Amino acid sequence: MTRERGDILKDLMDGVFLMNEELVIKAANEIVAAKYDAYDAINNGLIAGMNQAGVLFDKEEYFVPELLICSDAMYTGIEILRPHLKKSDKREQVKVVIGVVEGDTHDIGKNLVKIMMDAAGFEVHDLGRNVPLASFVEKAKEVGADLICLSTLMTTTMDGMATIIEMLKEEGIRDSYKVIIGGGPISQAFANKIGADGYADNAAGAIKISRSLLAKAAA
Amino acid sequence: MTTTAAIPKDSQGSLERVMCYLQGKKPQRVACFPLILNHAARVHGISVGTYNRNGKAMGQSHVSAFRRYGNDLILIFSTTSTLAESMGTKMNFFEEDAPQIAESFIKQHSDLSKVKVPDFNKDGRLPVYMEATEVAVKEVGSEVCVSTVFGGPFTTAAALYPVELLTRELIKNPKWVHELLEVCTQAGIKFIDEILARKALPIIVEPIGSASLVSPKHFREFVTPYLKRLSDHVHNVGGGMPAVLHICGKTTPNWTPMLESGFDIWSLDNVDLGQAKAAAGHRVALVGNVVPANLLKNTPEEIDAEARGICGKMGDKAGFILGSGCEVPINTPPENIDALINAARKYGRYDN
Repeated sequence: MTRERGDILKDLMDGVFLMNEELVIKAANEIVAAKYDAYDAINNGLIAGMNQAGVLFDKEEYFVPELLICSDAMYTGIEILRPHLKKSDKREQVKVVIGVVEGDTHDIGKNLVKIMMDAAGFEVHDLGRNVPLASFVEKAKEVGADLICLSTLMTTTMDGMATIIEMLKEEGIRDSYKVIIGGGPISQAFANKIGADGYADNAAGAIKISRSLLAKAAA
Repeated sequence: MTTTAAIPKDSQGSLERVMCYLQGKKPQRVACFPLILNHAARVHGISVGTYNRNGKAMGQSHVSAFRRYGNDLILIFSTTSTLAESMGTKMNFFEEDAPQIAESFIKQHSDLSKVKVPDFNKDGRLPVYMEATEVAVKEVGSEVCVSTVFGGPFTTAAALYPVELLTRELIKNPKWVHELLEVCTQAGIKFIDEILARKALPIIVEPIGSASLVSPKHFREFVTPYLKRLSDHVHNVGGGMPAVLHICGKTTPNWTPMLESGFDIWSLDNVDLGQAKAAAGHRVALVGNVVPANLLKNTPEEIDAEARGICGKMGDKAGFILGSGCEVPINTPPENIDALINAARKYGRYDN
């Protein structure tokens, strides 16, 4: 017997949010078998669950381990549902280029921001860690990014962020992108100093500042 | 306000000042621990790469830094992964930066059986640390406290097995994580013995236990019990040495399980130190916490103002040591470190 769509969506959401991957797999397969809309199930089930996890992360009830396991469960569900998406579901998404600047190989902070951005439905182009400064500019141009997100944990490499902003200015394309920065040694004062558009001191904050910058740009 | 005339002269030496804290006496002024680590290479005029690979050079760099700045603590240190390196994790080395993890030793769960307590005479760069400690103790040990810093069990585990995988295992496979932490703890106990034998102070850093990564619940389950064994060991065999813990980043949510870990001195980073004093000042002395990036970027006047603000939060200043929140950045201008230590002289007086 086929269950109601809403009941299955609730299992998808709870499965992600309560770190129950088995429940996600079962519910995602149910969506497929019942021929319910896959796009709806991703958005209103899996991503809704990840957003709930993000709220708890904000409240310091969830920490990194919990968030990683929620995101694993979400991706497992997406993999099952993706082949069943309709062509028309691929709407215009916010495009993000993200990476850790050259000289630094610490990437856990960047990975967290990436997880949260994936969950928020952004199209994330991850350049990885220890990324040559010019690559950020090239990739942003190539994909037509809305946002460039720069991370570093090291004080020796933070000046690279200012260099990237200078490169954008030299090419006359500074205003085409919002640049947000973060990482251990970074502060709002440093962001102001180098002319970044925004700063966040945690992954949830990065989503908030991104949305508010993009909303302002659209207004 | 930062004229030379405004800086009171010290008539008490570094070692005597620090001993006052341990003996419960009032020092002339608060001690100052800028966490000078790889920056010592700059003072000594050698590359950071040489510093990290040559024990004599590492030790002498810290002697030079102490002679230059008059910091109240020497910290022999390369990376938080050095203990894991000696247990099999591979590092990348750079000429002008600290080493970084290239390849974690543990690839799959069964590799755990190959993780052993290291031989301090030959494994990884432990001989570099041991020689550096000996050099610094021999040259300036009668003037200043010399310490040697190593990663705590949780941090060492995260350097043996990638942190993004380890954090998942806390939930999925806790028993395996406890087995890994057991070996890391035994290695830490051996580290303490080796450092104490060289008449230096062992200091434990547990940055992976920061609240940015683990919850109080996981801290209590995976970090506290093992740290407690290390602090107990220092208390049992250290001949009166204090147990010292540094955790970088945000730690506020984890202060309660940190207190249960039994340390005497906490060095804290991205927190309100006044709040830490209110929460834990009855049990621990606090070191902190000028923002490291500010040491690199700001002017001496700004460092002076920041340090003054921190001193102002510490009330009677009992059990307070002024310092940097985390490692003094390698390329920090020397005058900013002077400004930090001068701030202890100006705003940290107990005798007025």
